[in-house]
Amino acid sequence: MAGCIHCGTALEAREERFCCTGCEMAYAIIQGAGLGRYYEEREACAPRPGAAPAGWMAVPTTRGANGVEEVRIQVDGLRCASCVWVIEQVLERTPGVEHVMVSYATGRASIRWDPRRIDLTTLAGRIAALGYRPRALGEEAPPDRDLLVRLGVAAFCAMNLMLLYASLYTGWFDAMDPRFATLFRWLALVLATPVALWCAEPFFAGAVAGLRRRVLHMDLPIALGVAILYGHGVITTITGHEGYLDSLGMLVALLLAGRMLESRGRRRAVEAAMSLAATAPRSARRQVGAGLETVDAAALRAGDLIDLGNGEECAADGVVTEGAGQVRMALLTGEADPVAVAPGDRVVAGSILLDGALTVRVEAVGGETMLSRMAAQLEQAADRGMRPTAADRIAPWFTAATLIIATVTCVGWWLTRGADVALTRTVAVLVVACPCALALSQPLAAAAGLGAAARRGLLFRSADALLDLAEVDLVAFDKTGTLTVGTVAVLEADDSALRVAAGLERYSMHPIARAIVEAAISRDIALPRGENVREEVSVGVRGRVDGVQWQLATGGPGSLLLSDEAGRQHRIRLGDVIRPDAADTVRKLEAQGIAVALVTGDHSEVADRIAAAAGIGTVVARCGPEQKAQWIQARQRAGHRVLFAGDGINDGPALAMADVGIAMGSGAASSVLVADGVIARPSLVPILAARRAARACRQIIRSNQRRSLAYNVVAVSAAAAGFVNPLVAALLMPLSSGLVIWGALRVERLVREGDQ
Amino acid sequence: MNAVLFLLPIAVLLGGVFALLFLRAARKGQFDDLDDPPKRMLQEKD
Repeated sequence: MAGCIHCGTALEAREERFCCTGCEMAYAIIQGAGLGRYYEEREACAPRPGAAPAGWMAVPTTRGANGVEEVRIQVDGLRCASCVWVIEQVLERTPGVEHVMVSYATGRASIRWDPRRIDLTTLAGRIAALGYRPRALGEEAPPDRDLLVRLGVAAFCAMNLMLLYASLYTGWFDAMDPRFATLFRWLALVLATPVALWCAEPFFAGAVAGLRRRVLHMDLPIALGVAILYGHGVITTITGHEGYLDSLGMLVALLLAGRMLESRGRRRAVEAAMSLAATAPRSARRQVGAGLETVDAAALRAGDLIDLGNGEECAADGVVTEGAGQVRMALLTGEADPVAVAPGDRVVAGSILLDGALTVRVEAVGGETMLSRMAAQLEQAADRGMRPTAADRIAPWFTAATLIIATVTCVGWWLTRGADVALTRTVAVLVVACPCALALSQPLAAAAGLGAAARRGLLFRSADALLDLAEVDLVAFDKTGTLTVGTVAVLEADDSALRVAAGLERYSMHPIARAIVEAAISRDIALPRGENVREEVSVGVRGRVDGVQWQLATGGPGSLLLSDEAGRQHRIRLGDVIRPDAADTVRKLEAQGIAVALVTGDHSEVADRIAAAAGIGTVVARCGPEQKAQWIQARQRAGHRVLFAGDGINDGPALAMADVGIAMGSGAASSVLVADGVIARPSLVPILAARRAARACRQIIRSNQRRSLAYNVVAVSAAAAGFVNPLVAALLMPLSSGLVIWGALRVERLVREGDQ
Repeated sequence: MNAVLFLLPIAVLLGGVFALLFLRAARKGQFDDLDDPPKRMLQEKD
């Protein structure tokens, strides 16, 4: 059996080379650019080409020298390194393009081109023609290099400090030339100065900011420790003794490393979530006199008349003036079933015309549309601010306890042994009390937990949300797009009918046509060749397959009728299907003692049917967006910790209300923005994996905190008793931090054990 | 042994030069993307 040269779809006729015209064009582009090597070297077949996205005029670009423009966009559908290669090569061979760089890891492409010779719409069209899906990106924060630079300097100084102090410590046992000792001490002070005054600045800034808001968080004892270590170091260098400067260097370097790991992990997750939220800008076909012009959605004005065709997305809110058709408003209402509209009915921006043709009089555009207004409200609601971490909650007690013990030590030794001994031992107490391990315990484990969850498909915005997931005891699912696939799919059809229908529909870009072809591909049906295929508006598709004339037309709501010349008919039922892994996920959640509920705006019969298929007992039907949030609030009052998973803009209030709100990456951009986490694949399994990551993360953080507190108790008592000098501190402190780092490394292993 | 008195400061200074080179590289963005270059080097250029 032959397969499509470009995308690998099985084909029946041996002489055929492509499954659709899109693949044939992609092949022509690649061969035309002399890049035929792509087909030999790639590791995976290319995706099937889709329609070129429109509306690239409105994408913000940066203008460089000589009038060259630059833009960063997202490209979806990259499958192997050859995809990156072929996109870069095809674009670079396009006249007017100066530079292209595509990142395989993130899917970001940066393109530099001459706007006088080519425009972005054409370039995006070339990417789409190859089978990849270009999307516009929102604003992006520049990469944060500050922490890395500070860490680099701190690590450099810390290692040299260690070298110098190692000589000084060995000099203790084996009398050292005092000239060398003095030189080493002063060199050490020179190296320690940038560490204390510049590298450690984020901790001082954090402590001051905390004090201003009248909260004591973890930065305060750290800043205190650094200040004392450095001050003591300056004094001892002048008086000719060993200080704790090597401990200072190592402490700051380790803490900066922990902070950087955490911020990188979080940044990566947020970036990935944001790139899921980015949607292609919309365009519209506006009536001008007797003709039509394609304009950007931003250029529309109230009162304009726009035409909508099959599969097109409406760019503005308006009223239907002519025509009739079926509209899917899932983005707003969350319901998959299409709604029939006729003149006088309202349509909103974001709704998709599934069949028919409409003329719409525009009433609201841009920020005035219902969709934008709801999205703006949700973003405000989601701005919850940072919650204090467990370490931050300990910090005030910790600081107070340290200061009390230091005072007691100072007073006690002063009375018994005099000022000199008292000051040395007080400094030792303050030095070993510096909570390096405690401060590292959370960020390292959190970075490991976020990474483990992300690799399994759930991207979290913050470690707090991940830790909340460990506490969840009630999971509520939305129906459409969450528990179900959320798009039109084939529910029921016999193989022979599906085979013929796929042969007729394989050249079409219509969503229903795509669903039929996908269903055929998933059943391993080779696509036959449809001949003389003709699409007729409001009738359907006619064409010949296997020498027989067929007609595929609507057969009432939710079904298609395939009929041959003799009048024999086959019915193909269409609708929303439950995700294949939904029932299994529900069962596993319940096995862990978590209650599962279905909360939907749909009417109760449909909800009951889906719930039964998924094995969910609790069904709450006919809920509006506000009622979903109220239901969650009521459960929370009853003592539950609730996870809500949804995908529509109508799920926004519920996502914001739940302890953990999880959006589907395929869902509305606004739901992604408001949620704590985003599932990056079309599956519910990542919820289970992320819960394992959350539990492992919580367990490790707790045991790390116990370990570091135990270390502090032992070390502080030893220091107060006078057993700690700079050498002992230099051995003790890395030991405690090492224990914590080792603990964080166990997170991934714990989660992997749970995977099996 | 007296050599240590001036060799050691020179060694630290030399290290400092490398630290400055690192700073320059970081500021120019060489460490912004650590995931792609290892994959990119496996592809042939043409």
